[in-house]
This record gives sequence, structure tokens and C-alpha cells, in this order.
Amino acid sequence: MMKNKYIRVLFVDYGMVFVLIGLCVLISLLTISDMHPEDPSAARKLASSLVKEAGKDINVLIVARTTAADEAFATTLKEELENGGAHVVGVELGDPSSLRKRLELLGQQDERVDFVATHDFSSKWRVLNSSSRAEMASLYPALKNLKIAKPTSYRWPTFLTANNLIGILNQNAPIAIMAIGMTLVIITAGIDLSVGSLMALAAVVAATTLQSYLGGKDASGLDVLLAFIVAMVVCALAGVFAGVIVTLFKVPPFVVTLGLMMVARGMSYILAGGADAVKIEANSIGALYSSSVLGIPSQIVMMILLFVVAHVVMNHTAFGRYVYAVGGNETAARLSGVPVVGVLIAVYAICGLAAGLAGVLDVSHFGTGRPKAGEFYELQVIAAVVVGGTSLMGGEGKIFGTFIGALILGVIQNGLNMAGVDSYRQMVIYGTLILIAVLIDQLKKKVVKPASN
Amino acid sequence: MAKYVWLPLILALLVTGCSSEESSVIQDDGNVVGSTDQVNEDSPVEGKIGYSAMSLKNPFFGIISDSLKKAGAAHGFEVTTTDADSDVKKQANQIEDFISQGVDAIVLNPTDRLAIGPAIKKANEAGIPVFTCDLQCVAEGVEIAGHIGTDNFQGGELAGAAMVEILGEEGGEVLVLDFNQANSCVLRVDGFKKVLDAHNASTESGKITIVAEVNGGGDQDIGYKAAADNLKAHPNLRGIFAINDPSALGAWQAIKEADRLDVIQIVGFDGELAGKQAILEGKIYADPIQFPKQMGQGIIEKLLAYQAGEEYEMTTLIPTALYKQEDAQKDPELKAAE
Repeated sequence: MMKNKYIRVLFVDYGMVFVLIGLCVLISLLTISDMHPEDPSAARKLASSLVKEAGKDINVLIVARTTAADEAFATTLKEELENGGAHVVGVELGDPSSLRKRLELLGQQDERVDFVATHDFSSKWRVLNSSSRAEMASLYPALKNLKIAKPTSYRWPTFLTANNLIGILNQNAPIAIMAIGMTLVIITAGIDLSVGSLMALAAVVAATTLQSYLGGKDASGLDVLLAFIVAMVVCALAGVFAGVIVTLFKVPPFVVTLGLMMVARGMSYILAGGADAVKIEANSIGALYSSSVLGIPSQIVMMILLFVVAHVVMNHTAFGRYVYAVGGNETAARLSGVPVVGVLIAVYAICGLAAGLAGVLDVSHFGTGRPKAGEFYELQVIAAVVVGGTSLMGGEGKIFGTFIGALILGVIQNGLNMAGVDSYRQMVIYGTLILIAVLIDQLKKKVVKPASN
Repeated sequence: MAKYVWLPLILALLVTGCSSEESSVIQDDGNVVGSTDQVNEDSPVEGKIGYSAMSLKNPFFGIISDSLKKAGAAHGFEVTTTDADSDVKKQANQIEDFISQGVDAIVLNPTDRLAIGPAIKKANEAGIPVFTCDLQCVAEGVEIAGHIGTDNFQGGELAGAAMVEILGEEGGEVLVLDFNQANSCVLRVDGFKKVLDAHNASTESGKITIVAEVNGGGDQDIGYKAAADNLKAHPNLRGIFAINDPSALGAWQAIKEADRLDVIQIVGFDGELAGKQAILEGKIYADPIQFPKQMGQGIIEKLLAYQAGEEYEMTTLIPTALYKQEDAQKDPELKAAE
């Protein structure tokens, strides 16, 4: 019986986790393809296999690009080849054009080259293909026996690489952060359509504040931080404004935030002086976006911290209980002494603040204040919350569910791109999957709940 | 407790790249061992290209996508097209996805000539060549491996010439439906004005004056509204230059409703199918037309030259050609569409 109860809890409250895992498995299967290792350990293996297969008496040219990762690859390869006894005639870090010049130079110097040791990416450069090599061999006897050596490939889903998974989290962090605020609003049986526009407002306010009042090009990191805070405060105040109209004048939140959505978007365009983004010259503008903690982009760390804080607040504080109470039954909440007006205003303020943070992250990402930022994001944010199992009727919902909801949407989008599905079909699939996800959630509640009574 | 069963699963998903098989063949192409007589030309290297299109709602970019796919396939490239939907955030995400997929080259129509910079820099850092098409990126510090686009200024000049042809000796008032958000459209208007200025300098009586330059949104609906308002404001209007076909068609609708089709002529731009059809029907006088099919082909040529390490032209601007009713009557594309 106990076990049964846990399974019920698992399905009712965390059914979406299974949807997410299922999606990940499905997309993984769809994106299995050849992976081409380019890291130092691949270089080590390549060096030892090359020496083993071709012997020590070989002249090797190491070829890679100028990226940091490639430099590490090339350095390791050179060390290991030399340790193994092979002769490295040179390391060419560059592009196809510089490689061609290098090979021609080696040919002219009559320096015999037996192997070009490289990774898969550069091995596909046409300057190294068989006809191009044949042409060079006919010109230069030193290149007559030129062959290519590269690390072995293996099959693995492109979806399931650390790079891609971190990318998904990073790309969806602004939406997920806004979804935290939206979850609170929706739990109180409200809605906030203004988040996308507030995001743009925050972006433009931050940009114009920096350019006009904080010294433009000379703005320091502290000035950037100040501009970010100003932008977020503006958005929080917009949220307070929405909350006040909703509570004191009893206007439905849908209408209030629809109005705010248009006002904020219009203000963004006015402040930006048109549809063009406001250019930011401060050097440290990208610091927030490009920084990382233990190799994880700080945007992701911020998102996870905010989810943890929101989870704790919603489950272990009086404020959290108030939010659920207001959404469950506003009159009952008022009668039992919950400060309904204060809670509602706070909830819209938090939602505005979250949108402001998303706007600030956008500014830091693109280095410009875009009045077009966050267009239609309100719908994606609401979708994330709803897919995460929060009821639009209010009173129920979980912060953790929202996190999963945001991930599901992000994974679907990424997976469809990875699988090469064209954009029209993507829309259909995306919409259908949202419907299915929500439907599964509803069905489970219906099937499982009555049994527990 | 049970609610944590997913934890190991997620962890398992996060752990990656451990399944590589141990020892295996290292040397590439066992059959071709550098000997000159054994060249194997018809085994193209497999490669992947990621194309992030400005917006697939506009058929122009669909044509670029098709031509990229066709030209790419001929050289062993598989082209994946994604729709940025005019949203630079979406486009930046798509470029990051392309980098994760390890494509050999990235092609894009920048949705924002400045804000797309950081995404292109990421591709630069990953060592993947980036080609731009139609629109250029002007962000600082980005490396673009090649660009191909339309010579929009020259196109604007052709549009101006067509307008001079329409108004001839008499001259008259002209309305411009512009779209200043896109640099390409600014260039079109600049070219248009250059020809009108030259014309006005050479004539005393038949001057052509631009009475208003308003935003046509590059869109049929916005173009319609903008034209309708200005038709009321300017009763002597003789011509309209719209920077693309949708806004030109919007203007035509407005002129029709104002019942002034007999006195006002339209010059459009682009030469998309709907525009050509309108030229055939006499709704639009002429279009400087672009050649998106050549763009896909041109990008592939640049990529091939890049990969071969050969010298190539970094920026290619394809001139437009003026397309009028007699061209439309001979156009096989239109006959097929009917």
C-alpha cells in the first residue's frame, strides 16, 4: 500500500518529469550521429595509434584551427607524437587558406611530410581532399605520400552532449526565470501578459541609462550594475502598478496586464527612439552573461538559485501559504486574516522584477538594448507554467513543476532543431506536444486522485 | 523517497562522451594513398551546413534555402534550415545549436545587424566559418568568411529610372514607402533618390518631388494603411515607390479604393512571385528584381573556395534587373503558376 501511495504521488505531482525524460530519450535516439572527439585525450590516442600503425619514422604536420580548444589539441598531439618518437615538422593553426600556404611552403623547401594529423573538422577541408593532395603531390615530391590521420569517431546522440545540454539551460534561463514570477501570479488565479514587454523595457532602460547618464563608453562595471538595478526596479514598479489596479479597482488581471503590455512595449520603442536597438559601449556589459561558476554559465546558476529560493518560499514560509490561500479562495483567505491586497501586489511586483532580470540578461547577452526583446515571450512563459502543472484556475501549482515545464519546452525546441525538422512542422509539433503534456497531466489527476480517497 | 528516482536518470543523461570504442583504424582513406593516378573525385566529403533564415514567412528566404540545399547537395553538403522568425534571440539560439551539432559552416541572414554579433563571435571561437547572405552584420570584432547579397543601391537606382520613365516630361509628386529598420531598404531609397536628384538637376519643368517618406513596414497591411493616409493628404500624387512587393501591393489596394489607379503608378522591389504576377496584371509598373537563387549557389561557391584555401571574393553584390510587363509575359515561372 505504501509503495502504491508513493507511485501515486510520483505520477500526480511529478508526471511531467517522466514526459521530460521520455522526450530526452526520444530526441537522443533521433540525433544519434558520428561524434568527432577534438579534446587532448583524443589527441593522445591519435598520437599513440599513429605511431603504432605507421612506425616512428614519420614526418607529421599538425593541423588545427586557432581556437583555444584546438590549440590544446595541437599542443598535446605534438608532445605525444614527439614522445612516441615521430618527427613533427610543424603545427599549423589557422584556416584552409593558411594551411594551403604552409603545405606549399613545405613542398618548396622539399621537407617530406607523411601525415597531416588533425581532427575531423579540419580533415574535411577541401585543401586536404584526395584531388587537392594529388595536385600537390604532382608539384612537390616531398608531399607525394601525404596521408591524413584523425581521431576515431564514435556514435553518440548530438543532443546528449554537455555542450548542448548546458546550451538548452542557458537559452531558456530568461524564460524560466520569468516563469517563476508567472507561477506565483497564476497560483493566485491571475495572469500577467506584460512580462515580454517589461523585458524589453528593462533592456532599453538599462541601455539608455548607461548611455545617457552613466558615461556611455566610460561606464564601469559598477555603473553597469547600477543601470541593471534601475531597470529591474522600473519593472518591479510596473508590477506594483498592475497589482494595485488589480486589487484596489477590481479590474481583471488579463485586462490590466494587456494594457501594461502595450504601454511598456510602446515606451520601449519611444525610449529607444525607434525599432533599432540602443547600442551600449560599456566594456563590461557582457560580463554578466559570459561569466561562469565552475564552468557553468552564471545565468544558469542564477536560475537554479532562484528556483531553490522560490521553492523554499512557496513551501516553507507564511507568504507562500498566503499565495496558495489567495488563489484557492480569496474570500476565505481574507476572512482568515490573509493580507490579500498586499500578497497580490507583492506577487505582481515579483513577476515584474523577474521580467526585469530577464531583460537585463538579454542586454548583457546582446550588448544592446532591444525594444523588440521578449516579443511573444509571455505566451512561452505561460506555456512553461501550465505544462509544469500549475492550474490556470489558481490555488495549485509547484515551482519545481514550472522548472520542468520550462525544460520540456526548451528540450522540444532544441530537439526539433537538432533533428532538422522544418519550422512550419515545428510549430505544429510544439503546439501538439504542449496539448499532450497538459492532457497527460489532467488524465493522471483524474485517474489517480479518486482512488486515493 | 520515490520522487528522487529521476535523479540518477538525469545524472546518467548528463554524463557524456564515454562510449568511445578503443583502438580502431586511424588513417583516413585507405584506398587513396597519395598516388597521383588514383584520384577519386566522385566521393565528396560529407559535410553539414546550418542555415538560419531571417523568416520563412517571406518566400524570398525559402528560395535561398532551396538553392542552398540544391547547390550544397551537389557537393556533399547537407543543409539544415531553421527559421529565426525575425527574432535575434531565436537566431542566436539556432547558431548555438549549430555549434553544438558541429556543423562545418553556418549561413545566416542577420535578423539584427548589431545584436547578432555575440552569436557570430561564439561561432568564431568554435572555429566554424560564418557566411552572411542578403543582409550584413556590422557588429565589431566578428569574422565573416564571406557575404553575398543584392546590390540594393543599384536596385534603387533602377527603381528611380523606372519612376522617371513613368512621369517623363511632366514630373510630379511621388510617395516613398520605406522600411528604415532594414539597412538594405535604406540603400534602396538612397539609390532611388540619387536618380531623381540627377533627373531634377537636368530638367526645369518636369521635376519629380518626393512629398513624403513613410514607413510601409515592408508589409501589405501596413503599406496599405500608410498609402491610404497619404493618398488623402496628397491629391496630386502621381507615383509610389515601395521598397518591397508586399508594401507595393498594399499601396495598390489603397489606390484602387481611392479610385485613382488611372493617375498613380507603382514601382516595387524584389520580384517575388506575387510581385511578378502583379506586374503581369499591370498593378505594379516595374520591379528591380533580386536573384535569391544565385545567393545559395554563391554561398556554396565561397564555402568551397574557403575550404580549399583558395582566394575568393569576400563580398559579392548581385546587381538587380528591371522587370516590366513585357518581361512578365515571357516569364515561364508565371505561366507555370497559373
